Amino acid sequence: MPKVTINGQELEVEAGKTVIQAALEAGIDVPHYCYHPDLPVDGNCRMCLVDVEKMPKLTPSCTTVVSEGMVVRTDNDRVKTAVRGVLEFLLINHPVDCPVCDQAGECRLQDYYMVYGLHTSEIPLSMKVRKRKVIDLGPMVVLDQERCVLCSRCIRFFDHVTKTGEMQFFGRGDHVAIGTFEDQPLENPYSGNVVDICPVGALTSRDFRFKCRVWFLHSTDSVCGGCSTGCSMRIDHRDGTIFRLLPRRNAEVNRSWLCDEGRISFHELMAGERVVRPLVKGRDGLQAPVTWDDAVRSINSALKDTADKHGPESILGFASPSATNEALYLFRQYLSGQFGASRFEFRSGSEDSKVTAQEDDVLRHVDKHPNTMGALNLGLASEELGGIGGAIAAARSGRIKAGVVMYFKPLVPRPGDEEAEARVAELVRSLEYSVVLAPHRADWLSDASVVLPVAAWSEEEGTYTNFQGRVQFAGKAINPGGDIQPVWEVFANLLYASGDNALWLSVDDVFGRLSETVPGYKGVLLAEAKTVGALPTP
Amino acid sequence: MTKIHLVNIDKPGQASLETYRAGGGYKALEKAMKMEQSAIVEEVKTSGLRGRGGAGFPTGMKWGFVPRDTGKPTYLLCNADESEPGTFKDRILMERDPHLLIEGMAIACYALNCHLSYIYIRGEYEFVANTVQKALDEAYADGILGPSVVGNDYGLDIFVHLGQGAYICGEETSLIESLEGYRGYPRIKPPFPATHGFLASPTVVNNVETLTALPWIINNGGAAHAALGTEKSKGTKLFSVSGHVNKPGVYEIVMGYPLLDFINNEAGGIPNGRKLKAVIPGGSSVPVLTAAECEGVGLDYESLLKAGSMLGSGGMIVLDDSCRMPEVLSVIADFYAHESCGQCTPCREGTGWAAKILRNLVAGKGRKADIDLLLKIADMMEGKTICPLADADVMPIRSFVTKFRSEFEALCEG
Repeated sequence: MPKVTINGQELEVEAGKTVIQAALEAGIDVPHYCYHPDLPVDGNCRMCLVDVEKMPKLTPSCTTVVSEGMVVRTDNDRVKTAVRGVLEFLLINHPVDCPVCDQAGECRLQDYYMVYGLHTSEIPLSMKVRKRKVIDLGPMVVLDQERCVLCSRCIRFFDHVTKTGEMQFFGRGDHVAIGTFEDQPLENPYSGNVVDICPVGALTSRDFRFKCRVWFLHSTDSVCGGCSTGCSMRIDHRDGTIFRLLPRRNAEVNRSWLCDEGRISFHELMAGERVVRPLVKGRDGLQAPVTWDDAVRSINSALKDTADKHGPESILGFASPSATNEALYLFRQYLSGQFGASRFEFRSGSEDSKVTAQEDDVLRHVDKHPNTMGALNLGLASEELGGIGGAIAAARSGRIKAGVVMYFKPLVPRPGDEEAEARVAELVRSLEYSVVLAPHRADWLSDASVVLPVAAWSEEEGTYTNFQGRVQFAGKAINPGGDIQPVWEVFANLLYASGDNALWLSVDDVFGRLSETVPGYKGVLLAEAKTVGALPTP
Repeated sequence: MTKIHLVNIDKPGQASLETYRAGGGYKALEKAMKMEQSAIVEEVKTSGLRGRGGAGFPTGMKWGFVPRDTGKPTYLLCNADESEPGTFKDRILMERDPHLLIEGMAIACYALNCHLSYIYIRGEYEFVANTVQKALDEAYADGILGPSVVGNDYGLDIFVHLGQGAYICGEETSLIESLEGYRGYPRIKPPFPATHGFLASPTVVNNVETLTALPWIINNGGAAHAALGTEKSKGTKLFSVSGHVNKPGVYEIVMGYPLLDFINNEAGGIPNGRKLKAVIPGGSSVPVLTAAECEGVGLDYESLLKAGSMLGSGGMIVLDDSCRMPEVLSVIADFYAHESCGQCTPCREGTGWAAKILRNLVAGKGRKADIDLLLKIADMMEGKTICPLADADVMPIRSFVTKFRSEFEALCEG
């Protein structure tokens, strides 16, 4: 490995890496616009110029590969003057409309101006090049050509990541502008990514525009709940409302990208009324709100009665591949540990066969559940039942009397969702006694003996296992309020109330047990799961 | 004076194969085809021929960089995207003596073991391209080109490619991008075209004038070429002279010829009894020389460099004392602002900004501070870009403003 010296700091760098990579990895900031770790290098912005000993001119650090004995300065006067000059150039024709620009607060022009610029503008307004503003580029993106620094990140994204090539430069000299041919809309399932990678306010999100100043937002690291890819993401929220979802870089899964459906999936969560109180069906056949204590007591006694009367095989656990690993583990612990139940199922469609099937060759998978792999690893697919059809048949024939059923509506809708939901409804209707855990209201919930209000995605922390078997942690961003409880906590309470002496106080406790005892989680450290996720040790 | 390029330029019908042949045409190619390929490269190295497009890089050395063992084809591209203001020497060669270029290209191709070659001609030269195409058709029909070059077991195809009128495509890597069908943007170097050029294959890009020197070198030997000119500038050079001279046009002189003698004798002197004020010796991108600085300067690489300018492409613009230098600079700056491809920041923004300041100055709306701002912009651009277009703007800006500062200041006083 070549040894290089950057700003007097000696570094050993992997051969083939560029100076900017070496510097950024060592925590040395090198200003840049066009360089992006997940796009091919272009070298056009000239912000990352550095002084390399024995090179006559300053050289862009993004195009310069490290070599043995290289001595680099990113902080001498020569570099600072050059960078300041480039920044001044970038700002001469910029409209400086920060007060009405959505990028304000996370804009590289603003940030670098504070560090490298602080100069007074020497160009009169009348001399600025005017370009087009507020150009509608489809469902996700709005373009402002004046704010653009022409770094070509968006163009390279469509050229090299989606390979669809919708965007291009138009014109020449200081009249160059980015755009699509004849303003055609970006109907690309990944178009939202160009908003993230745009270092300035040229490409803004149609969805997020003018909703909130970014400095008011809080961020929680999470994992997308939209499909089995399990993209690392960040939830930006304020006062219990999600404002936007952004990708979190994960070289092992999604690099720096998210699909558009995942990006706006939180709207699906926010839509629809929530179940807010535990409901228990009385002797009159009508559901009435009760306290959690009463609900827990009634569930424990009903399931005990069923097990005593009809045997443990008459109890079904019907899980959801959208629940966290911790929730699924305690669910299984509860039913099998307390009542001896052995019939578990989670497939309302054919999730298990779709979980590794790709929908395209960028990110998306066909299975629209975040934790199908987890449900499979926890043994929640029954060979005997073979899916929800078998469970319904067993309930109709009376072999199964009672069931605990989870249902989460998919965050990324697909044709067939309604049929899947209808099958769950039919299962509930076919059971003599049913406990349904659901975040959202639905008509068929009235058939359940007990309805429990539970947290949806983003409201509950825990891990999901993606299509690769990678275990990833999603934090809790939103406090759902009311009587709504996280699913893992519901089963922790049921376990405690039914006499289990293990005390589950946190998701960490449950995860610790998982990683010790279940093969699909073996050796995974929660700290790893919280960053880029980890595969179990074989 | 010895001539290499313009020997037959005035002969009627020289563009036709028949006349070209009658004057001894294609003899050099026939001779070259009997030589070892490496012997031709050596001969060109011996000749001391330097690239005539502007940069003056030794041609033989450029050829020597091309790897022969990559398993990929080697391409020769003829750079006929002559667009530098003041430069029109390649045009006359292609228009009047296209077979000389074809013969030169065929010799170069054979030396480089290249079987496919393109002539990239600027879009505005469509009529020139038609002449070249006609000559190519004749050469094919005669068996000079095609599967057996002048009867030898060596195939060569040459195609004309017409550009769309972008100065930047004269920069060799953007020429390659344009030829590949992409936007004419210069590439980051390294890798250099010698190893990763056209279609990621070894590529040599040579100027028209460079290639038309080859038949003479083969006929007369590299040593004969090296005997002409000065220590570092061998052979002859075409100068396309425009501006305030009595006889503007294209002239061929042996390197080292005195600049002032050239203006006064060859180009017919300054008209109307006016005095010489300044000379831009090598195309609009090189630093301007004042009349005083022209004293004792020879037309060769080292002498012009010593005087503070460059030989460049040989596009000489002569300015007499009626010229207002800020206006001249404004025209030059407008050209570079218009032709900047816009890929990298300093050039895209700097050329445009400088041009606007100059337009303001010339219109009498400038401030004194603008003069130093122009020099600051020049500093901000210089040496920070992907290709030399920004530097081509910096050199006139800096030389005009420093050498004729009082004229700029006078404009700001009104």
